[in-house]
Amino acid sequence: MLAQLQTSQALHWLGRQLFNRNDPAAFFDPLLERIDPLLAQQTIRARVVSVLPETSDTKTFLLQPASRWKGFRAGQHVALSMDIQGVRRTRTFTLSSTPAQWRRDGTVSVTVKRVNGGLATGWMHDNLHPGRTISLSEAFGDFDLPPIAEPTLYIAGGSGITPVLSHLETMAESQFQAPVTLLYYVRTHRDVIAADRLRSLTDKWPALTVRIYPTEEPGQDHRLNDRQLDEVPGISARRCYLCGPTGLMDLADKLLYRRNVPEDQIHRTFFSAPSVMLNTDSLGGEVQFSNTGTQAESSGDASLLDIAEASGLSPKHGCRMGICHQCSCRKSRGTVVNRLTGKASGSGEETIQLCVSVPAGTVAIDL
Amino acid sequence: MKHLNEAQLNELQQDLDQIRDQVVADLGERDANYIRRIVRLHRGLEIGGRVMMPFGFIPPVFLAATTSLGLSKIIENMEIGHNVMHGQYDWMNDPSLNSQTYEWDTVCTGDSWRRTHNYEHHTYTNIIGKDRDYGYALLRLSDDNRWRPAHLLQFVNYVLLSVFFQWGVGLHELEAERLRHREISLKDKRPFLKDFLRKGGRQAFKDYLFFPLVTLPVAPIVLAGNVSANLMRNLWSSNVIFCGHFTQDAETFTEEECEGESKGHWYLRQLTGSSNFTGSRWVHLLSGHLSYQIEHHVFPDLPAHRYPEISEKVQAVCEKHGIHYNTGSFAKQYGTVLKRIIGFSLPDRVRQRVLPGFSEAAA
Repeated sequence: MLAQLQTSQALHWLGRQLFNRNDPAAFFDPLLERIDPLLAQQTIRARVVSVLPETSDTKTFLLQPASRWKGFRAGQHVALSMDIQGVRRTRTFTLSSTPAQWRRDGTVSVTVKRVNGGLATGWMHDNLHPGRTISLSEAFGDFDLPPIAEPTLYIAGGSGITPVLSHLETMAESQFQAPVTLLYYVRTHRDVIAADRLRSLTDKWPALTVRIYPTEEPGQDHRLNDRQLDEVPGISARRCYLCGPTGLMDLADKLLYRRNVPEDQIHRTFFSAPSVMLNTDSLGGEVQFSNTGTQAESSGDASLLDIAEASGLSPKHGCRMGICHQCSCRKSRGTVVNRLTGKASGSGEETIQLCVSVPAGTVAIDL
Repeated sequence: MKHLNEAQLNELQQDLDQIRDQVVADLGERDANYIRRIVRLHRGLEIGGRVMMPFGFIPPVFLAATTSLGLSKIIENMEIGHNVMHGQYDWMNDPSLNSQTYEWDTVCTGDSWRRTHNYEHHTYTNIIGKDRDYGYALLRLSDDNRWRPAHLLQFVNYVLLSVFFQWGVGLHELEAERLRHREISLKDKRPFLKDFLRKGGRQAFKDYLFFPLVTLPVAPIVLAGNVSANLMRNLWSSNVIFCGHFTQDAETFTEEECEGESKGHWYLRQLTGSSNFTGSRWVHLLSGHLSYQIEHHVFPDLPAHRYPEISEKVQAVCEKHGIHYNTGSFAKQYGTVLKRIIGFSLPDRVRQRVLPGFSEAAA
């Protein structure tokens, strides 16, 4: 019934008249969520089923989203929102479970490393106990499975293993017939996430080779190098998936490029905002937030989101790394440079992402 | 107005900024829980009122339903809508409590309110000629405007404004007085009128058409209840708002004395141009804590339920700087408002004899 308020055009119109809001179904949320948080309509809620410790600083949260959540493809992310000391915070995480599991029992999992001093990850580790709820977005991202059974290489670092887990388990269930190699870089052996799941994967799926490299343990240098890649047979014909910290990704890019792996065979997913080298001299300028009549001066490569927040505005935002488009906003004039690509925008009216847009000269934003 | 020199104004600013900084640093779960509790209360009252209303052929149920719906509108307008649109809860990052997108249960559109109230009234508070909220361009409340015989009728105008308050507020931005003087043309106001008609139509449709029609056999009862609930809200909010700036000691200012003013001077103007009234916890809640109008005007974007907590500190700052802190019971403050409305409807010489206390206004 409530869902129809969003889907049926006539009811949605009526709901807007009666409740003075563009999401009329959410009008009842304050009462409904007292009965069951999963009934809330404004965001999709998920209940924590269980929490599994992976390593000393990483936990896997098994979540059961409300039934209207639409599902996901292996390798996709969700934005999780949580109220921390009264403030709603949104962060992006990769789903570490398989779509098959979600179809089977309606659960998904995220594997979260506690970031040193991290507000959201710290809160999740300390407060997100079984039975509590959290909001999650529909899934997004295009770190998709290989389209056909072909030789595949995964290079993962730290908690970058999460989309890879979802991929590998999905491929194992479909009896993926081509050789698959995972090179997994961790600080020490104690930092291996989902060790049991990886072991059981290699046990039941002979096409999979897993090599774990502890980079900070004494002895041999285990950081990604040519020797390790030499051990991967037929590497230049493989489809390659990279997920990890920026340093590892950059190094992998370089080594694969030297081996003539074609660019369209390489897939990347980021879990921290990568930034190209921007020429900071030409950046910055006057920013006008037209709706509020606020003005700010910026210099260097500060993003519009940072500038807006420093000016006392609180624009809607999510991942702060150019993924979720929560912060998409209308630019009425001026040029911005995309921090991810280094490319400059046009100078006219267009929609931009505040979190990865750096002003280059005077810019006017509808905020 | 109490005169402070530049150094004193700077000190006043620092004292008040300090109070503000303390609250901002402490914002958190308590404030989030408070406003969510109020939102729940509003939903309960509105749904309860709407559900009971068709059974209003039983007199006590009619009374309960009307009261419930009236209170829901009062709470939504005063403690939720007005305060949310001031940005008091923007820091929560909750799209339902966002100042720029919130739309309230009254005729005035949120956008129009943000322009006329948040910007004009709160920036130019009580500056005659710039703050159009001072008398709503309808009432003569100080001798900055010359008396004309038409003012003799202003008490009737005042009663009408109170009864139809939501429509008056909705039409405020039309600037009827400037239209009359041909300073602006109707064409300039076309975008505003379009929004006004859409929102006014929406509100009238909901309360006077849709809900009566879906309960057709008892439509007259539902219509009567909805009209009463709106009336209840209109009278209460009008009274609360009039007590905020039109009491006896609330001061007015001229454009000249405010030209290029400092933040400290702005603070001083908010302190001397506003007035509080005392009451129980419920009176404060139902007034959206505009009973703490002084605190509200000094810190319009701090969560309103904090005003009672900081009131003592604000009073101490006033005392330190020798500024009159204008407060009293609702009856006393409202009494002086009525006196002002009646007094300034009379020719100046009559008023000075009958109500000598109001002569000084912007002297």
